[in-house]
Amino acid sequence: MRKCKFEDMIDGYLLNKLSERDKELFEEHYFNCPACFEELQARSLIINTIKNHPEVLASEEVRAKVPLAARLKRELAAVFNVRQLATAGIISLIFLAVIIAVVPKRQALLPGFTLTDTETVRGSSITLISPVIDMNQVPSFFEWKKLGENVEYQISIFNHELLWKTTTKENRVVLPDEVKAKMVPGERYSWQVKAFGPDGSLIAVSSRVQFLVSPK
Amino acid sequence: MRDKPPDKLRVEEDIKELMVRYRPIITFRVRKAIGAQNTDCDDLVSEILSQVMENISSGKFRGESSLGTFVYTITSRRIIDYIREKTRVMKFAPEPEPFPDPQETLEQKEMSEKVQAALGKLKPKYRNALYLYYYQELSREEVAARLRISPRKVSELVNYALKLLRKEIKT
Repeated sequence: MRKCKFEDMIDGYLLNKLSERDKELFEEHYFNCPACFEELQARSLIINTIKNHPEVLASEEVRAKVPLAARLKRELAAVFNVRQLATAGIISLIFLAVIIAVVPKRQALLPGFTLTDTETVRGSSITLISPVIDMNQVPSFFEWKKLGENVEYQISIFNHELLWKTTTKENRVVLPDEVKAKMVPGERYSWQVKAFGPDGSLIAVSSRVQFLVSPK
Repeated sequence: MRDKPPDKLRVEEDIKELMVRYRPIITFRVRKAIGAQNTDCDDLVSEILSQVMENISSGKFRGESSLGTFVYTITSRRIIDYIREKTRVMKFAPEPEPFPDPQETLEQKEMSEKVQAALGKLKPKYRNALYLYYYQELSREEVAARLRISPRKVSELVNYALKLLRKEIKT
Protein backbone atom coordinates (compact mmCIF):
# COMPACT_ATOMS: atom_id res chain seq x y z
CA MET A 1 0.00 0.00 0.00
CA ARG A 2 1.29 3.46 -0.90
CA LYS A 3 2.15 5.68 2.02
CA CYS A 4 0.09 8.88 2.45
CA LYS A 5 2.21 12.03 2.12
CA PHE A 6 0.80 13.33 5.42
CA GLU A 7 2.03 10.29 7.34
CA ASP A 8 5.39 11.97 7.95
CA MET A 9 3.60 14.63 10.00
CA ILE A 10 2.25 12.17 12.59
CA ASP A 11 5.30 12.21 14.90
CA GLY A 12 5.58 16.00 14.67
CA TYR A 13 1.88 16.39 15.48
CA LEU A 14 1.98 14.08 18.50
CA LEU A 15 5.21 15.60 19.83
CA ASN A 16 3.92 19.17 19.22
CA LYS A 17 6.72 19.98 16.80
CA LEU A 18 4.56 21.19 13.87
CA SER A 19 3.98 24.84 13.01
CA GLU A 20 0.43 26.13 13.62
CA ARG A 21 -0.28 26.03 9.87
CA ASP A 22 0.98 22.45 9.43
CA LYS A 23 -0.92 21.40 12.52
CA GLU A 24 -4.20 22.72 11.06
CA LEU A 25 -3.47 21.13 7.68
CA PHE A 26 -2.77 17.79 9.27
CA GLU A 27 -5.84 17.99 11.52
CA GLU A 28 -8.13 18.64 8.58
CA HIS A 29 -6.41 15.82 6.73
CA TYR A 30 -6.93 13.14 9.36
CA PHE A 31 -10.63 14.02 9.54
CA ASN A 32 -10.71 12.93 5.89
CA CYS A 33 -8.10 10.15 5.76
CA PRO A 34 -9.02 6.94 7.62
CA ALA A 35 -5.54 5.45 7.01
CA CYS A 36 -3.77 8.41 8.63
CA PHE A 37 -6.19 8.48 11.56
CA GLU A 38 -5.66 4.78 12.17
CA GLU A 39 -1.89 5.29 12.10
CA LEU A 40 -2.23 8.37 14.32
CA GLN A 41 -4.13 6.40 16.97
CA ALA A 42 -1.62 3.55 16.91
CA ARG A 43 1.38 5.91 17.06
CA SER A 44 -0.29 7.90 19.85
CA LEU A 45 -0.66 4.73 21.91
CA ILE A 46 2.99 3.78 21.32
CA ILE A 47 4.38 7.24 22.14
CA ASN A 48 2.13 7.50 25.19
CA THR A 49 3.44 4.18 26.47
CA ILE A 50 7.06 5.18 25.80
CA LYS A 51 6.56 8.49 27.61
CA ASN A 52 4.97 6.82 30.63
CA HIS A 53 7.22 3.75 30.77
CA PRO A 54 10.67 4.71 29.44
CA GLU A 55 12.25 2.07 31.69
CA VAL A 56 11.15 -0.72 29.33
CA LEU A 57 13.15 0.82 26.52
CA ALA A 58 16.54 2.27 27.19
CA SER A 59 19.67 0.47 28.17
CA GLU A 60 21.68 2.08 30.99
CA GLU A 61 24.33 2.92 28.40
CA VAL A 62 21.96 5.01 26.28
CA ARG A 63 20.31 6.65 29.32
CA ALA A 64 23.72 7.71 30.61
CA LYS A 65 24.50 9.33 27.29
CA VAL A 66 21.66 11.86 27.52
CA PRO A 67 23.39 15.22 27.00
CA LEU A 68 23.21 17.85 29.69
CA ALA A 69 21.45 20.31 27.35
CA ALA A 70 18.69 17.83 26.52
CA ARG A 71 18.22 16.90 30.19
CA LEU A 72 18.13 20.57 31.18
CA LYS A 73 15.57 21.29 28.45
CA ARG A 74 13.34 18.49 29.70
CA GLU A 75 13.71 19.51 33.35
CA LEU A 76 12.95 23.16 32.56
CA ALA A 77 9.95 22.21 30.43
CA ALA A 78 8.64 20.13 33.32
CA VAL A 79 8.90 23.03 35.80
CA PHE A 80 8.20 26.15 33.71
CA ASN A 81 5.73 26.82 30.95
CA VAL A 82 6.65 28.65 27.73
CA ARG A 83 5.46 32.05 29.05
CA GLN A 84 7.61 31.79 32.20
CA LEU A 85 10.66 30.72 30.19
CA ALA A 86 10.17 33.63 27.78
CA THR A 87 9.92 36.11 30.68
CA ALA A 88 13.12 34.72 32.22
CA GLY A 89 14.85 35.00 28.84
CA ILE A 90 13.82 38.65 28.39
CA ILE A 91 14.99 39.57 31.92
CA SER A 92 18.35 37.87 31.26
CA LEU A 93 18.76 39.79 27.99
CA ILE A 94 18.03 43.13 29.68
CA PHE A 95 20.54 42.28 32.45
CA LEU A 96 23.15 41.35 29.84
CA ALA A 97 22.51 44.57 27.88
CA VAL A 98 23.01 46.67 31.04
CA ILE A 99 26.32 44.91 31.77
CA ILE A 100 27.51 45.39 28.18
CA ALA A 101 26.50 49.09 28.28
CA VAL A 102 28.16 49.86 31.63
CA VAL A 103 31.42 47.86 31.66
CA PRO A 104 33.15 49.36 28.58
CA LYS A 105 32.36 52.91 29.83
CA ARG A 106 34.13 52.27 33.11
CA GLN A 107 37.19 51.06 31.24
CA ALA A 108 37.10 54.03 28.86
CA LEU A 109 37.54 56.46 31.76
CA LEU A 110 41.18 55.41 32.05
CA PRO A 111 43.40 56.89 29.31
CA GLY A 112 45.86 54.59 27.61
CA PHE A 113 49.09 55.58 25.97
CA THR A 114 52.09 53.81 24.55
CA LEU A 115 55.57 54.25 25.90
CA THR A 116 57.42 51.97 23.58
CA ASP A 117 56.37 49.35 21.10
CA THR A 118 55.97 46.84 23.90
CA GLU A 119 55.06 48.96 26.92
CA THR A 120 51.63 50.46 27.58
CA VAL A 121 50.62 52.28 30.74
CA ARG A 122 47.15 53.33 31.86
CA GLY A 123 47.02 56.36 34.17
CA SER A 124 47.02 60.18 34.23
CA SER A 125 49.38 62.16 32.06
CA ILE A 126 52.03 64.79 32.96
CA THR A 127 51.90 68.23 31.32
CA LEU A 128 55.27 69.48 30.15
CA ILE A 129 55.84 73.26 30.54
CA SER A 130 59.28 74.07 29.10
CA PRO A 131 60.87 73.61 26.65
CA VAL A 132 58.02 72.70 24.29
CA ILE A 133 58.93 74.95 21.36
CA ASP A 134 62.13 75.51 19.41
CA MET A 135 64.81 77.31 21.47
CA ASN A 136 67.34 79.97 20.49
CA GLN A 137 69.88 78.41 22.78
CA VAL A 138 70.35 75.25 24.80
CA PRO A 139 67.75 75.33 27.61
CA SER A 140 69.18 75.68 31.11
CA PHE A 141 66.22 74.00 32.86
CA PHE A 142 63.31 71.64 32.19
CA GLU A 143 59.92 72.15 33.88
CA TRP A 144 56.63 70.27 34.09
CA LYS A 145 53.36 70.43 36.01
CA LYS A 146 53.44 68.98 39.53
CA LEU A 147 51.21 65.96 40.18
CA GLY A 148 51.17 65.83 44.02
CA GLU A 149 53.25 65.12 47.11
CA ASN A 150 55.57 62.13 47.49
CA VAL A 151 55.97 61.74 43.75
CA GLU A 152 59.36 61.12 42.22
CA TYR A 153 59.94 62.21 38.63
CA GLN A 154 62.30 60.70 36.16
CA ILE A 155 63.32 62.98 33.30
CA SER A 156 64.97 61.64 30.16
CA ILE A 157 66.48 63.70 27.35
CA PHE A 158 67.07 62.09 23.99
CA ASN A 159 69.04 62.93 20.95
CA HIS A 160 69.08 59.94 18.62
CA GLU A 161 69.52 57.93 21.80
CA LEU A 162 69.28 58.60 25.52
CA LEU A 163 71.47 61.63 26.30
CA TRP A 164 70.82 62.08 29.97
CA LYS A 165 68.49 60.76 32.68
CA THR A 166 67.93 61.87 36.27
CA THR A 167 65.33 61.73 39.07
CA THR A 168 63.95 64.49 41.32
CA LYS A 169 61.06 65.16 43.70
CA GLU A 170 60.66 68.67 42.27
CA ASN A 171 58.80 69.59 39.11
CA ARG A 172 61.88 71.26 37.68
CA VAL A 173 65.43 70.27 36.94
CA VAL A 174 68.46 72.39 36.04
CA LEU A 175 70.55 70.98 33.26
CA PRO A 176 74.15 70.27 34.42
CA ASP A 177 76.90 71.98 32.44
CA GLU A 178 78.35 68.67 31.21
CA VAL A 179 75.01 67.76 29.62
CA LYS A 180 74.57 71.28 28.25
CA ALA A 181 77.94 70.90 26.57
CA LYS A 182 76.70 67.79 24.72
CA MET A 183 73.74 69.67 23.21
CA VAL A 184 74.65 71.56 20.08
CA PRO A 185 72.77 74.19 18.03
CA GLY A 186 70.98 72.90 14.91
CA GLU A 187 70.09 69.56 16.51
CA ARG A 188 66.70 68.21 17.50
CA TYR A 189 66.11 66.84 20.99
CA SER A 190 63.17 65.31 22.82
CA TRP A 191 62.33 64.83 26.46
CA GLN A 192 59.88 62.92 28.59
CA VAL A 193 58.93 62.71 32.27
CA LYS A 194 57.68 59.66 34.18
CA ALA A 195 56.17 59.88 37.66
CA PHE A 196 56.55 57.17 40.31
CA GLY A 197 54.52 56.68 43.48
CA PRO A 198 55.99 56.13 47.00
CA ASP A 199 56.05 52.37 46.37
CA GLY A 200 58.05 52.87 43.17
CA SER A 201 55.17 52.08 40.83
CA LEU A 202 54.76 54.08 37.64
CA ILE A 203 51.72 56.34 38.00
CA ALA A 204 51.97 58.79 35.09
CA VAL A 205 53.91 59.46 31.93
CA SER A 206 54.18 62.60 29.80
CA SER A 207 54.16 62.67 26.04
CA ARG A 208 57.52 62.88 24.34
CA VAL A 209 58.05 66.48 23.23
CA GLN A 210 60.55 67.52 20.56
CA PHE A 211 62.39 70.85 20.32
CA LEU A 212 65.08 72.28 18.05
CA VAL A 213 68.07 74.26 19.31
CA SER A 214 68.26 76.87 16.56
CA PRO A 215 71.60 77.27 14.80
CA LYS A 216 73.43 80.52 15.70
CA MET B 1 -32.20 30.61 -4.30
CA ARG B 2 -34.06 28.51 -1.73
CA ASP B 3 -32.28 25.58 -0.08
CA LYS B 4 -33.45 22.21 -1.33
CA PRO B 5 -35.02 20.04 1.41
CA PRO B 6 -32.41 17.53 2.62
CA ASP B 7 -32.51 14.05 1.14
CA LYS B 8 -33.80 11.93 4.06
CA LEU B 9 -31.80 8.85 3.09
CA ARG B 10 -28.61 10.81 2.69
CA VAL B 11 -29.11 12.52 6.03
CA GLU B 12 -29.49 9.14 7.73
CA GLU B 13 -26.33 7.89 6.06
CA ASP B 14 -24.37 11.00 7.08
CA ILE B 15 -25.52 10.74 10.70
CA LYS B 16 -24.61 7.05 10.80
CA GLU B 17 -21.17 7.89 9.36
CA LEU B 18 -20.84 10.69 11.87
CA MET B 19 -21.42 8.42 14.83
CA VAL B 20 -19.40 5.46 13.58
CA ARG B 21 -16.50 7.10 11.81
CA TYR B 22 -16.19 10.63 13.16
CA ARG B 23 -16.96 10.20 16.84
CA PRO B 24 -13.50 8.67 17.60
CA ILE B 25 -11.80 11.35 15.46
CA ILE B 26 -13.63 14.18 17.23
CA THR B 27 -12.81 12.59 20.60
CA PHE B 28 -9.13 12.32 19.67
CA ARG B 29 -8.99 15.94 18.50
CA VAL B 30 -10.77 17.25 21.61
CA ARG B 31 -8.57 15.25 24.00
CA LYS B 32 -5.44 16.46 22.22
CA ALA B 33 -6.59 20.09 22.40
CA ILE B 34 -7.84 20.37 25.98
CA GLY B 35 -6.17 17.42 27.68
CA ALA B 36 -7.64 13.94 28.11
CA GLN B 37 -7.92 14.36 31.87
CA ASN B 38 -10.21 17.35 31.36
CA THR B 39 -13.66 16.40 32.68
CA ASP B 40 -15.32 18.53 29.98
CA CYS B 41 -14.06 16.24 27.19
CA ASP B 42 -17.14 14.02 26.90
CA ASP B 43 -19.56 16.95 27.10
CA LEU B 44 -17.66 18.82 24.43
CA VAL B 45 -17.65 15.80 22.09
CA SER B 46 -21.43 15.38 22.61
CA GLU B 47 -22.04 19.07 21.88
CA ILE B 48 -20.01 18.87 18.67
CA LEU B 49 -21.87 15.75 17.53
CA SER B 50 -25.24 17.40 18.24
CA GLN B 51 -24.19 20.53 16.37
CA VAL B 52 -23.06 18.55 13.32
CA MET B 53 -26.23 16.44 13.37
CA GLU B 54 -28.40 19.54 13.55
CA ASN B 55 -26.57 21.05 10.59
CA ILE B 56 -26.95 17.87 8.56
CA SER B 57 -30.66 17.47 9.44
CA SER B 58 -31.50 21.08 8.62
CA GLY B 59 -29.79 20.83 5.27
CA LYS B 60 -27.00 23.30 6.12
CA PHE B 61 -24.45 20.69 5.08
CA ARG B 62 -24.97 20.50 1.34
CA GLY B 63 -21.97 18.39 0.42
CA GLU B 64 -19.98 21.32 -0.97
CA SER B 65 -17.02 20.15 1.09
CA SER B 66 -16.38 16.64 2.36
CA LEU B 67 -18.22 15.59 5.50
CA GLY B 68 -14.77 15.23 7.13
CA THR B 69 -13.87 18.88 6.47
CA PHE B 70 -17.33 19.99 7.65
CA VAL B 71 -16.95 18.05 10.92
CA TYR B 72 -13.37 19.30 11.32
CA THR B 73 -14.49 22.94 10.96
CA ILE B 74 -17.27 22.63 13.55
CA THR B 75 -14.94 20.74 15.92
CA SER B 76 -12.17 23.37 15.65
CA ARG B 77 -14.58 26.27 16.17
CA ARG B 78 -16.14 24.67 19.21
CA ILE B 79 -12.70 23.97 20.73
CA ILE B 80 -11.66 27.60 20.17
CA ASP B 81 -14.92 28.81 21.79
CA TYR B 82 -14.38 26.48 24.74
CA ILE B 83 -10.82 27.75 25.29
CA ARG B 84 -12.06 31.38 25.06
CA GLU B 85 -14.78 30.70 27.64
CA LYS B 86 -12.28 29.06 29.96
CA THR B 87 -9.78 31.87 29.44
CA ARG B 88 -12.36 34.38 30.63
CA VAL B 89 -13.28 32.28 33.64
CA MET B 90 -9.93 30.83 34.61
CA LYS B 91 -7.68 33.59 33.26
CA PHE B 92 -5.49 30.86 31.82
CA ALA B 93 -6.56 28.58 29.01
CA PRO B 94 -5.93 24.89 29.49
CA GLU B 95 -2.52 24.07 28.11
CA PRO B 96 -2.57 21.40 25.42
CA GLU B 97 -0.98 18.18 26.53
CA PRO B 98 2.74 18.00 25.74
CA PHE B 99 2.12 14.49 24.47
CA PRO B 100 -0.72 11.98 24.79
CA ASP B 101 -2.18 12.05 28.24
CA PRO B 102 -0.62 9.92 30.98
CA GLN B 103 -4.00 9.07 32.49
CA GLU B 104 -5.05 5.80 31.07
CA THR B 105 -8.55 4.38 30.86
CA LEU B 106 -8.95 0.67 31.51
CA GLU B 107 -9.02 -0.11 27.81
CA GLN B 108 -6.02 2.09 27.17
CA LYS B 109 -4.23 0.49 30.10
CA GLU B 110 -4.69 -2.94 28.58
CA MET B 111 -3.41 -1.67 25.26
CA SER B 112 -0.52 0.07 26.95
CA GLU B 113 0.46 -3.18 28.70
CA LYS B 114 0.38 -4.88 25.33
CA VAL B 115 2.68 -2.18 23.90
CA GLN B 116 5.03 -2.45 26.89
CA ALA B 117 5.31 -6.21 26.36
CA ALA B 118 5.99 -5.63 22.67
CA LEU B 119 8.60 -2.98 23.41
CA GLY B 120 10.34 -5.39 25.78
CA LYS B 121 10.62 -7.97 22.99
CA LEU B 122 12.43 -5.58 20.62
CA LYS B 123 16.16 -5.88 20.04
CA PRO B 124 18.27 -3.28 21.93
CA LYS B 125 19.09 -1.35 18.73
CA TYR B 126 15.36 -0.68 18.13
CA ARG B 127 14.67 0.11 21.78
CA ASN B 128 17.54 2.61 21.94
CA ALA B 129 16.40 4.34 18.75
CA LEU B 130 12.79 4.61 20.01
CA TYR B 131 13.95 5.88 23.43
CA LEU B 132 16.09 8.65 21.98
CA TYR B 133 13.63 9.60 19.25
CA TYR B 134 10.33 9.52 21.14
CA TYR B 135 11.26 9.81 24.82
CA GLN B 136 14.18 12.23 24.51
CA GLU B 137 12.55 13.87 21.45
CA LEU B 138 15.89 14.16 19.68
CA SER B 139 15.94 14.78 15.93
CA ARG B 140 16.92 11.95 13.61
CA GLU B 141 20.32 13.61 13.12
CA GLU B 142 20.90 13.83 16.87
CA VAL B 143 19.90 10.21 17.37
CA ALA B 144 22.23 9.26 14.51
CA ALA B 145 25.14 11.10 16.14
CA ARG B 146 24.43 9.46 19.49
CA LEU B 147 24.21 5.94 18.09
CA ARG B 148 26.97 6.56 15.53
CA ILE B 149 24.81 5.55 12.58
CA SER B 150 23.38 7.49 9.63
CA PRO B 151 20.08 9.46 9.91
CA ARG B 152 18.69 7.18 7.21
CA LYS B 153 19.49 4.18 9.39
CA VAL B 154 17.67 5.86 12.30
CA SER B 155 14.54 6.20 10.13
CA GLU B 156 14.83 2.56 9.16
CA LEU B 157 15.18 1.46 12.79
CA VAL B 158 12.25 3.58 14.00
CA ASN B 159 9.96 2.61 11.11
CA TYR B 160 10.75 -1.07 11.41
CA ALA B 161 10.25 -0.97 15.18
CA LEU B 162 6.85 0.70 14.68
CA LYS B 163 5.92 -1.98 12.16
CA LEU B 164 6.82 -4.73 14.63
CA LEU B 165 4.90 -2.99 17.41
CA ARG B 166 1.76 -2.56 15.30
CA LYS B 167 1.90 -6.23 14.42
CA GLU B 168 2.17 -7.18 18.11
CA ILE B 169 -0.67 -4.84 19.12
CA LYS B 170 -3.04 -6.29 16.52
CA THR B 171 -2.55 -9.87 17.67
